[in-house]
Amino acid sequence: MSQAKKGRLNYRCPQCFNRDIDMDLFFDEDKKEYYCLRCCFHGTEEEVLAQNEQCKHKYHDMEQRVDSFNKDDEPIKTHKIKKGEM
Amino acid sequence: MENTFVVNIIHRPELSPEYAEKVNGRGKKSGVGAKSLNDESLEIFKTQQRLAHENGLKTTIQITYASLFSDDIIRIAKEDHEKYGDEIAVSLLGLPCKEFKEKYKTKDFCIWMFSLEDKKRIIDDVFGMFFEKFGFYPESTGSYFLDAACLNYIHEKYPTVKCAIATCWEEGPKAYHTCNNSWYTFLDGGPWATWIPSKVNSNCPAVDQKDDCGIVCIPHLSRDLIACFDGNGSNFGTHPQNVIRGMIYNKDGDLPYLYNLVDEYRNLAKYNNGLSYNMMFVGPGWMNKAGRWEAPYELLYKSYKNGMEYYGKLKKEGKLIDMTMSEWATYYRAHKTYKEPECALWKDILYGSSKEYFWYLDPYLRTCLDFNQGGAMIDLRPYVAKLDWKVGIGTDHIYDASYPYLIQANYRAGYFTHYAGAGTVKSCKVTYGTEEVDLCLERCRATYSKDGLDTIVTSDIVDIDFSDFTLKVQSIFRFKYGTGEILITRNIMNDIGDKKVTFDEYFTGAFGTTEYQSDMSKIKLQIENKIESKNVDFAYKCRIVSLKDAKVVRAIIPDVNTIIEMSGDNDLGEFEEGHAFSPSYRLSLKKTLSKGGLTTCLKLKKED
Repeated sequence: MSQAKKGRLNYRCPQCFNRDIDMDLFFDEDKKEYYCLRCCFHGTEEEVLAQNEQCKHKYHDMEQRVDSFNKDDEPIKTHKIKKGEM
Repeated sequence: MENTFVVNIIHRPELSPEYAEKVNGRGKKSGVGAKSLNDESLEIFKTQQRLAHENGLKTTIQITYASLFSDDIIRIAKEDHEKYGDEIAVSLLGLPCKEFKEKYKTKDFCIWMFSLEDKKRIIDDVFGMFFEKFGFYPESTGSYFLDAACLNYIHEKYPTVKCAIATCWEEGPKAYHTCNNSWYTFLDGGPWATWIPSKVNSNCPAVDQKDDCGIVCIPHLSRDLIACFDGNGSNFGTHPQNVIRGMIYNKDGDLPYLYNLVDEYRNLAKYNNGLSYNMMFVGPGWMNKAGRWEAPYELLYKSYKNGMEYYGKLKKEGKLIDMTMSEWATYYRAHKTYKEPECALWKDILYGSSKEYFWYLDPYLRTCLDFNQGGAMIDLRPYVAKLDWKVGIGTDHIYDASYPYLIQANYRAGYFTHYAGAGTVKSCKVTYGTEEVDLCLERCRATYSKDGLDTIVTSDIVDIDFSDFTLKVQSIFRFKYGTGEILITRNIMNDIGDKKVTFDEYFTGAFGTTEYQSDMSKIKLQIENKIESKNVDFAYKCRIVSLKDAKVVRAIIPDVNTIIEMSGDNDLGEFEEGHAFSPSYRLSLKKTLSKGGLTTCLKLKKED
């Protein structure tokens, strides 16, 4: 068994990311999978990418653009962005 | 003054970027000094400069130690200064390079962590080389953090310097944990916006000219004042890399959060006499062709391009003034007074919650009120103590540059604890018979106003449902200008007949810079009324001491040279000593009412 390497990009462990820890994943050539040194996460590139998308679910307003911060004690007003909108 | 939004764009042309220095796990050795890395870093710097200039923005070029050995960087800096009005400054970041390591024989690279002797030696070296290359001394400098010793030395030796980057907001235990407990930058407790530091402790704003360190300071990046307090600070700032690191982009690679963050900073003009500020400070390491984390180069490039385009758009619309760092320092001094507070009523722009924090700082204190918890105080730093907290090798704080808290509800619990004990928070409990409700459980929002020089924050009216009636309560916080005092009023807002409720205005405190409490045995708890006074030396014995009609209840904390006092309306004052499982102390004032309200005063004083 040869030593682990980094993958094409510098993927982080999605499970550690969800608890605010940046842990780089390493790639196991023999098993063709990424794995984490800190927790038990392991998975293919597709699984890493899918879990990364799940990590973003906490950002409810990630695709919202603020129209107005409104009065101090009222909610902000937002709309969903269109592609490339600034 | 009409609203003014000022932006500093700062580029740091590192040739051996710290992020790229250790190319771990790729089967390559450290890349410091490698020609390919130098060439790529130079290209990234040129790209960043181009993107700023294409959008009509001037920059501050913070030349690093390694860059001073590059004729290309020096030539570009001079050309861009001539052509675009960019400021040529010097950075105390970016020290690691072959020449530095050979000369200083160390792997350390954070200027504040060196011994005082080495700090001076390095500063002289960097400024001296800068002078050799450019023929003048810079007007701006910076690092992730600059302690008072560095700032005082720079001001004394290089009086041309007007402006410095001197802290990274709330980069402390959270950043340490995020970096797998490997990144020892403990910089919690400082200002989130521009400030003029005290000569004694750079985290504290100067109280007057005598205390002024002589240099206007800015934080490294403008950070999200909710997301960075609650979570990893490095994901939520006005650096596209932060947003990329947080994976806050959609499938099209759009980052509306970055624009929302800029806009929320613009909105802070409302609370600061019309003045608001933003800074973007980038090196080359994050924007390399190999990508950064999950993001390919194309996304990295797009994020920076979009960031510059947004600032450029605001400038074209007359909503932004781009300045260099030294220009901003001059402007800031002309528009701010020492005791004028910095305020931010900050709304959540990312998670879709209704959370709202009110941040306040002046030369006496920094605090945060959480209106998702009824206005509970969840952070408190006693700037009035102006701790002479020396940092670096040879001091008591090798790497810990944080300013200590008295309350930090995330590090040291807050309202919610598991099974036993008490967390650090200041709030109010309302009791009716055997029923008790803490205002921490009242989600609301707040409104900011001014009364003369005092800052007022008023909560929405909240309902407290008891078994046979509802009590309506409003909280008003008055930050008394130039005193270190906060007056807190709890008003009954409805007719409750002859029913009686008891307000328990309490302060559960601790002290420290991390999540772990050091020995509290030096703390003294005191209470006094017109007739008598009682004292307890903290010994973890859970003692509770009360006095009717208390004049003051007090905690003296020699470890952080601070006295906390509560006074004002009460029938009964009380303090409670903590125990080993829950190391904290509790001060409280209680009053029973049927109508009206009670006003108490929280005052922080320096303990000598």
